[in-house]
Amino acid sequence: MKTPLKVILTAAMLSMGALSAAIADDAFKIGFIVPNPIGDVGWDHELDRGRQAVAEHFGDKVSIQAIDSVGEGPDSTRVMNKMASQGVDMIFLGSFGHMNDGLKLAKQYPDLAVVHAGGYQQADNFATYAVRHYEGAYLAGMAAGYATKSNTLGVIAAFPLPEVVGIMNAYVLGAQSVNPNLNDVKVIWMNSWFDPAKNKASAESLVSQGADVVFSLFPGTPSAVAASEELGVYTTVTLSDNSAFAPTRHLAAIQVDFGPIMIAKVQEAMDGKFVGNDTFAGIGENSVSVAGLSKDLSEEQKSAILAKQDEIRSGGFHPFQGPITDNKGKEAVAAGSKLDDGAVKGMNFLVQGIDTSLPN
Amino acid sequence: MDTFVFVFAGAFATATPLLLAAMGELVVERTGVLNLSVEGMMAISAAIAFMVVYTTGSHSLGFLIGAVSAAALSVIFAVLVLVFLANQVAAGLAVGILGLGLSALLARSFESETLIPLRDINLPVLSDLPVVGPILFTHDPVVYLTIAIGLVLAWMFTKTRLGLILRVVGENPEAAHNLGFSVLRTRFWAIVFGGCMAGLAGAYASTVLTPVWSQGMIAGRGWIAVALVVFGTWKPLRVMFGAYFFGAALLAELAVQSLGIDIPSQIMSSMPYALTILVLAAVSKDTVRIRLNAPVSLGENYRPSA
Repeated sequence: MKTPLKVILTAAMLSMGALSAAIADDAFKIGFIVPNPIGDVGWDHELDRGRQAVAEHFGDKVSIQAIDSVGEGPDSTRVMNKMASQGVDMIFLGSFGHMNDGLKLAKQYPDLAVVHAGGYQQADNFATYAVRHYEGAYLAGMAAGYATKSNTLGVIAAFPLPEVVGIMNAYVLGAQSVNPNLNDVKVIWMNSWFDPAKNKASAESLVSQGADVVFSLFPGTPSAVAASEELGVYTTVTLSDNSAFAPTRHLAAIQVDFGPIMIAKVQEAMDGKFVGNDTFAGIGENSVSVAGLSKDLSEEQKSAILAKQDEIRSGGFHPFQGPITDNKGKEAVAAGSKLDDGAVKGMNFLVQGIDTSLPN
Repeated sequence: MDTFVFVFAGAFATATPLLLAAMGELVVERTGVLNLSVEGMMAISAAIAFMVVYTTGSHSLGFLIGAVSAAALSVIFAVLVLVFLANQVAAGLAVGILGLGLSALLARSFESETLIPLRDINLPVLSDLPVVGPILFTHDPVVYLTIAIGLVLAWMFTKTRLGLILRVVGENPEAAHNLGFSVLRTRFWAIVFGGCMAGLAGAYASTVLTPVWSQGMIAGRGWIAVALVVFGTWKPLRVMFGAYFFGAALLAELAVQSLGIDIPSQIMSSMPYALTILVLAAVSKDTVRIRLNAPVSLGENYRPSA
């Protein structure tokens, strides 16, 4: 039910955009479409930080128009078509749901470079990107494994999608790697990208079951993080450092940074060398890192986490290197081998020690 | 046992915004007016109450100004349907969308800010009772206020003159008019009351239940409130029961998941809705009584003959 604001803002911003497009001369014109309002943390916040990094890196050489609160649907179709018809050279689409409209747009404007977050389809002038959240998740999991007293971890996850499952698996593997006494990890699927009340109640439910570290996996709201502070349990979270929402209870965050990917794609497009490929970047490309580590972790624990981060960066360690057993007792990754990117992106098993199931 | 307490204690807070909004809508619908702008009224109040509490730190002031802002929105609706005789469904939807849009616009710079929530009251002796204490006697003041409002409304509709006037206006506005009651005035104040209640509901959602502001945080609660009124067959006690049942079912879903009981989570997520419909349908399965309870003139505008 976000339509009305979108309508108002889209109208307002497009008219402003029209103005700035008229003023801008030979600068490389980039449009950013962000699905939700930009808060202090989370997906849209990180997309906006990426935009700021592009603006800072290229300065006067680019002219940027950014529109937020444009979810999937007719609004996004209209906004992206309007941008393209105004002659922008490049568009960043921030929502998975922008995929089909974006592909159509790319076909219609062959000279336009389109970059889409999170999709799985490419075209000559339609590139995609994703980040290796799971690498940071392994590190946040280590922090959770160190910090838990009850040896019970709780996870609140958005949807049982391969990317989410991969992050959860890496998190649990990280926790198990430092804590051999871990009980089965408890999971609540929100089946929603955004529901502050349910998010908070999920944290309360996990804590009532004895969990003392709550992992908020793509919550869409800092609600469970804030609830953890209130409940007095540690919390870990994806996408952004959420320390502000849990000043004493923030254990670790899987911080993403879209700047490097966006800057690289803009550079390609400016040089006329844009490729419609898929970028999958992680710690090694400075796209993912562990952030907001709690003061309650000892110096040895922190340095172990950071050492593991360096090991992942250098390629010496892969969170999904075998042997890994799934939670039905079958071998998922054989000793001596590791999952390739295709298997990581299509993750369809849960590792041993996770007490939930996936839909068939 | 912890799970039991989590579900039944939490149900009160979860149900409170639904119930506040539903009680308001119930009164409005009893007078024959269908106001579908509940979601928008809750949103505008949630935004304004959040900003007030954020700046002043006073929850009471937040509730007050939130209720006033939603009531102001309901006055727009009242003018549309009572004076200009606009279609009630269309007017309600339009005003609701206006409320949602305004709420997002007004609180734009507060996106993902947080508040200190309202503290629970600790009653001596009662709150320390095992099981019963945490379930019944450890809540914030608004939870108790909401229950009181529900009981007062139930009593009012059956036992007082005011309740009868409201009912006759909804059942047969022509008769009410001929008896000398002002249909339009009665409906106007009912709509404003509904606005205030939706305002309290929105303020509760954004400043107590989840004290984090995000655009769209009402997330359909207004619509659930409207549905509860219908499935509760316009009876305050049934609506109360439905709201608490729904709250408990929502939390039971989370409890079942965190216990690790193996039921597909998608099915679990739709459970509260399905269960609430089933239970309320069973409670009110007597179709004759539903027809008796539904306000006859619901959704129809009235123009008093001169």
